[in-house]
Order: sequence, then structure tokens, then C-alpha cells
Amino acid sequence: MKDPYELTILGTDDVIFSRGPGGVFQGVINGKPFDELVVHRAFPFLYTTKYISVRDMKGEELCIIRDIEELDRESLKEIGTELQFRYFLPRVDRIDSIKQKADLWIWELQTNLGATRMAMRNLHEHLQFPGGGRIILTDLNGRRCEIADWRELDSHSRNELTDVI
Amino acid sequence: MAILETLPNQIRGQLQQEPVFSAKTDLLHNGHFGEQWTVITEQEVAVWESGGALLRSLRLDQVTEARSVNGVGGGMLLADTGSGPVVIARYTAALSAMFGFAAKLLTAMAKGEERPAVSEKEFPRYCPSCDNPLSEGTQVCPVCKSSGKAIARMLKYAKPYKLQMAGAGILLVLTTLIELIPPYLTKIMIDDVLQPKNAGQSLLMVVIGLGVTALLLSVMQTVRGLIGVWVGSKLMGDLRKDIYSALMRLSLAFFDRRQTSQFIGRVNSDSEAMRQFMTDGVIWVSGETLRVIAIFVIMFGLDWKLTLFALLPMPFMVTVSMKLWPKIGRRWYQQWRAIFRLNVLVGDSLQGIRVVKAFGQEATEMSRYAEANREVVRNNIRIEGMWQGMFPLFAFIAGLGTLMIWYFGGQSVLKDELQLGTLMALIAYLTMLFGPLQWVSQMINWASNALSAADRVFEIMDTPSEVPEVREPAAIGTIRGEVEFQKVTYGYEKHHPVIKDVNLQVKAGEMIGLVGHSGAGKSTFINMICRFYDTDEGAILIDGVDLRRISQSDLRKQIGVVLQETFLFDGTIAENIAYSKPDATPEEIMRAAKIANAHDFIVRLPDGYDTRVGERGHRLSGGEKQRVSIARAIIHDPRILILDEATASVDTETERQIQEAITRLVKGRTTFAIAHRLSTLRNADRLVVLERGKIVEVGTHEELLSQKGAYHKLVEAQQELSKIKGVESA
Repeated sequence: MKDPYELTILGTDDVIFSRGPGGVFQGVINGKPFDELVVHRAFPFLYTTKYISVRDMKGEELCIIRDIEELDRESLKEIGTELQFRYFLPRVDRIDSIKQKADLWIWELQTNLGATRMAMRNLHEHLQFPGGGRIILTDLNGRRCEIADWRELDSHSRNELTDVI
Repeated sequence: MAILETLPNQIRGQLQQEPVFSAKTDLLHNGHFGEQWTVITEQEVAVWESGGALLRSLRLDQVTEARSVNGVGGGMLLADTGSGPVVIARYTAALSAMFGFAAKLLTAMAKGEERPAVSEKEFPRYCPSCDNPLSEGTQVCPVCKSSGKAIARMLKYAKPYKLQMAGAGILLVLTTLIELIPPYLTKIMIDDVLQPKNAGQSLLMVVIGLGVTALLLSVMQTVRGLIGVWVGSKLMGDLRKDIYSALMRLSLAFFDRRQTSQFIGRVNSDSEAMRQFMTDGVIWVSGETLRVIAIFVIMFGLDWKLTLFALLPMPFMVTVSMKLWPKIGRRWYQQWRAIFRLNVLVGDSLQGIRVVKAFGQEATEMSRYAEANREVVRNNIRIEGMWQGMFPLFAFIAGLGTLMIWYFGGQSVLKDELQLGTLMALIAYLTMLFGPLQWVSQMINWASNALSAADRVFEIMDTPSEVPEVREPAAIGTIRGEVEFQKVTYGYEKHHPVIKDVNLQVKAGEMIGLVGHSGAGKSTFINMICRFYDTDEGAILIDGVDLRRISQSDLRKQIGVVLQETFLFDGTIAENIAYSKPDATPEEIMRAAKIANAHDFIVRLPDGYDTRVGERGHRLSGGEKQRVSIARAIIHDPRILILDEATASVDTETERQIQEAITRLVKGRTTFAIAHRLSTLRNADRLVVLERGKIVEVGTHEELLSQKGAYHKLVEAQQELSKIKGVESA
């Protein structure tokens, strides 16, 4: 019998991912089909495409994918999309403005998923700096955006950030 | 009917039936930002584009169940159908509550069950005029309210001291006016005494005049200073008190999400920044403004043409100040955050100093500190440097005015159009303008520092408690101790419930043992009874009265807790035992300790009951602390008792002593106990087995064993474990 305390790390041959007709992420793992799968990043900040835990509807771990880049094209596309859905973290391309209005900090942002606005009560609890030039912004409602590297933003955005970070 | 948002006409016109539910999503199907409408009617659930195009629809008779599946920062509404699950809509975290409701509604409709009622919590709360999110429990939009409010609110603290402040103000006016006399006297001395070489009485008079003004000035400054110190200290005390009471009022959920040591510094440093602005700041502004006006009046009186030169640099200075103002505010906040991070770091590593030492990580901690420290230094240089650079610049610009007066005034003196004394007086007055100049930059500094401090302080004060006190509490008197859970659901993060739909009736005096794997929701269960958190759904009743209708102080009087982590306050053992009953007599304290099996070890201590414990005091062992906290619960004499793993991490003998104490303690009280060792719960009248937040089994030890269900498995697992331990110790 399989040791329950052993991690199941599966390679490219044992997993196939696809999207069901209802738009739900599904797949075949070790020959067994699942019509709904949930993905978790084990290291959401450090390794966004590695160590992906694949679980069934009940949350039981089925396997861990060491690196999704090794998967076939179809599987890679679907798992990539699913990760993007599950970890809703638009990437900031440009900061239009950061204004402090009364008690709120309002960020007007352009992201890879469209324009958005984030409102924060303060900065010390809503900004995270996981390392490098990365910044994770979280607004009052728990929505998040990511600045991959603030040093690589355009000069207007950097200027907006100067007295904020 | 539960329509949440008004549908656009283009969609409404196309619907065959009345909508039961309609809501706007903020994400498109492909996960990009955008708007779509989810509409549920009696027949179908459909998704529309805002423009009125139907994207997809699903007949309700195809749906077996609906779920809201929440990811990180967003989620999706999913319907299970005969041919597999179907994604209906995607949304960001802001709308999780609303779509959680939609899922429940859809499920109820699909299964033909009673439909859930919509509660206010499920509405996404946005300000109608500016579209910014509103915080819970308030209708006032923070952005739309007047921006001067923080200052006004801050100044309110000065109100009780308005008499003293007015006194200080008057003294300030007088000193300001008196300060203006010496240059004028000097002018008289030069023009009327020294130059005409007219000695005699006048010289002495002028010198006496100068002496008297100097004396008056120093007396008045002393009095004003004393008033300032007095008012300032009082103000600061009031502020600190208010911040602290605001902190105490907040619910546990607030502190769960934050590192608590940060508040130690905040209470002090933020109130100091606000005090500085109010006492020094306000008095200075009024005083210096007055001085500037008075100086200009006198200067105009002396020579209006020359005075105009002095005014030339003013517009420049005002513009620069206005430009820099917001920047300085942000930099102050930045500096504050850097210090904040540093404090959090120190708080963290000192609290965990044992772990740091045990793993020999002093060097890592030091380098973490060094990095945070560098950040503070960098910010410090930035802000101080800015202000250091500003003043000399202002001084130089103003100095240009002086140069012009020297040049043009000098020419006039040479041409005998102006008396030398007048020129000297003008120059002297102009130098006096440097005071207020310094004030401009100093004041910007103070005010922005104070405003950002006020922001943080008022943020704490404005945070509504998540367990609000009811306005007219039900009088409960001494309760019997019946407890009832009615369909209780709760999650620390909304929509990740850790307690799900729990129903349980407990009779007065009954002992309930809570059993389950770690993370099953046992601790949350008892936290709910203490009302550390309010239910998201359902209600908890004590003697038939909803917890939320009982005042918190009444409730606390009826509930006693012995927690896993025993916390003793800084003070003596006696004080700790009498924590909930400060007027307890020494006999009561000893009796409680005796019942708790603590009396003997306490008396054996050199300082007995007067032994200091807590942060700076004597170190008690884990078991001793446990027993002191049991005594604390005994003296409290609660009707409902909560024991959270009271015997965890103690040796067998101590466990026996604690067990004994507990047996005596629970007599006649409704008790909820959590224990790691299932054997310690054998006295329980009923055991409640929790699994992933749900009650899966209820019954006595024997009943549950014979059922061979979840409890049986837990007991077996524990027996396995003790076998292993037995082998290890053999």
C-alpha cells in the first residue's frame, strides 16, 4: 500500500488536463478521470508555475506537478488558465495614480486583465514585499494585484511609487 | 424575492419571467475585468452582457446543486448538472459574499427547499457617489466626507482645555507685541539719543524700557510654557486613554489578523505626534501669524516702499510650501512604516527569543534587523534632509529681501531721505520674520506628521467591533446554563467557514466533550460560545436568549475559561486568581486555589500568594500556571465553563491533579471541554465529534464506540499512538 505520508509527484506521462464543456477544469490522473479538479500553488509567491498541488473536489491531494512547463501543450494551457482563475492576481502594467483621499488610498491601475481601481485603508497592512522588486497589493475587499518588479515599470509609474514604497 | 441589483433595461426587457436574483459580476468569463449580469428566474439561470446580449443559460431543472468556489482574490459560481459541473460566473473577492448567497439560493431552488433570506452582509458595499468601498457597519463614505475632518476631530481633544489654551493664547499675543518693542526703542535710541548726542535722562529711560520689556517677556514666556506643558500632558493622556479603550473595545478578530506588539508603539508615538501639533503647533501658528501681521504693520508704518521689497520673496515661498506639503506627509508616513516594520521585527524576535537561541539564529535575526534599520535610516535622511534643505533655502530667499532693503534703504540714508534708526529698525524687524519662516517649514512637518498619526489613530477608533454591543441588552440575571446552537456557520475569513451548519442543544449542567482532529473547528466552537466572534449564519442561545442580545459584561460574568495557553498577568498570584473578582477575600482566593490543587504549591513558594508572576515575575511551570488559571475560573464561579485542552503538555501526575481540580470545578456547571487525550473526557455526559466544521456524531463514549464511526477511529488511532509511546519508553 502507498505510504500516506509520501508526496505524490507525478510527471508528464501520468497527467492530462483539459476543460470540460461547462468550463470546469478537469483531467485524468494516473489513468483515473476527474470531472472537477482544484489547483493550489504550494509557493504562490516564489514558484508560480512549480510545485502545483492538484486536488479533487473534496480537497484531497491527488498529486503534485513539479513544473507545469514540462506538461504537454494542451495540459499546460489549461492548468495555466486555471491557476490564473484561482489565483486572481492581475499584473500591474502601469500605475496611473496613487491618491490619498481622506482615509483611503486610491490606486488607479492598468493591468494585464484590464483597468482597475483599488482602495486601501492604509499602506502598512495592504502592501506586501515578498522580495526583489515584487509588490503585492491587496485592497479593502481582498482583491489583489501584483507588481512583478517595480523597478521595471515606466517612469510615470515609478514616480507615483516613490513616496509610497 | 431577493433581487439584489437593478437590472439594466436592455436585459430586463428580454426576460420572460420576473427575476428572483440579479447581480453584476466584475469579471468576464475569461478572467479579465469587465461586467456581466447573472440573472436567476424560476426557470433558468442566465448570464448576460451589459449591452443586453445573452451569453449562456441553464435550465434550473438541469441543476442539481450550485456552489461558490473561492480561490485567492476571486472565485466562481458553479452549477452541478447531470452532465458535469458548469461555470456560471467569475468574480473578484469583493463579490464573494453575494455569489455565496446566489449559490445557496440556486441550490435551494434546484432542490425545492426553503429559500434563504438575503442579509445585509451579502451586499457589496460601495459609496453611491464615488464608488469606493464602504467599511462594515457604516454608511459614511470616508472619501466623500469632508477632508478637514481629521483636524477638526483632533482639535476636539483640546476643547476641555480651552480656557487654559485661551490664556496661553492671550499671553502669546502679549509677548508677541512686547517682542516688537525693543527694535522700536533701538530706533529711538539711535535717532533721538545717540545721533543728536543728546544724553541725559533719555538714554537711561530707553535702557530701562529695554530692561522692563526683557523682564516682562521672560515672565510671560515662563507662564505660557508652563500652561503649554500642563495642557499638553493632559491632552496626551486623554489621547492615549482613548486609543487604548478603542483597542480594548475591538473584537478578537481584529487582533487575529495583526501582530499585537505593534500597538505598543502606536499608542505612544501617534498620540505624541498629535499632541505636538495641537499644543505647540496650534499656539505657534496663531502666535506667529500674529507676529507676521504686526511686523508688517509696523514696517509699513516706518517705510512702506522699502517694506514692499521684503514682500517680494513671499509668493515664491508660499508656492513651494504648497507643492511640498503632500510630499512631506507621504514621507512621514513612509518613515513611520519603516519604524513600524522595525518594531514588528523586534517584537517578533524578542517574543520568540527562545526559538532564536535554540536554533542559533542570532546572526540571521541581526541581519534582518540591519536591513530594516537601513530602511529607517534611508527614510530618515530623506525626510530630515528635505526639511533641512528647505529652511536654508527659505532663509536665503528671504535674505534677498533684506539685501534689497540694505541697498535701497542705505541709499536713502546716504541721501538723508531716511533716518539711520529707521533703517536699523526695518532690518531688525525683517530678521524677526525669520522666526515665522522657520515656523512655516516646521509647521508643515508637524502638521503632516500629526495628520498621518491622526489617520492611524482614528482608523483604530473607527474600526467597528465585529461583535457589537447590543443597545438594549436582555436582562439575564443568573442563568441556568442551557446552550443551544441553531444552524451556526462561521469562518474567520468569510466564505471559508470553519463551523458549518452546527445544531446542538445542551442542557444546564451538562458536560460536553468536543472531539476531532486538529483543525476540525473545536476551538472555534468554544470561541463562538464566548462570543469572541459572531456567527455568520444562525444563532447561539443561552437560556433561550440570543447571545447577541446579551451585554458582553453580563455574558462574561456567566462564562469562565481555562485556555490551552494560560496567560498570567503581571502581578501577584493572588491578583491573578482574583482577576475577575478584584474584591475577593484572602479566604476566597485560598479556597479557590485549594479546589484547583494549587494551594499547596503556592504556599510553598517563598512569597506565597504574593509571588509576582507574569512577564517580569517568578516563573511557574506549565502545570502550575494551569492550576492558577483553574483557580481563576473557580473564583469567577461561572455557570458555563470552557476548558480548552487544559491538560495538554503536562506530566501524568500533574495531569491527575489538574483532572481532579477540573472534576470539582465542573460540578453543576454547563461545561464544554476540549482534550487531546480522549481518556480525559470520559466524565463527559456527551461527546460531540467534529469533522471539518460539521458535527458528525453525538453520544456517550460507549454509544460512540459501539457505532464504530469517526469517534471509534479517533480512539483507535490514539491507542496506536500510546502503544508506540509504550514501546519507546520500554
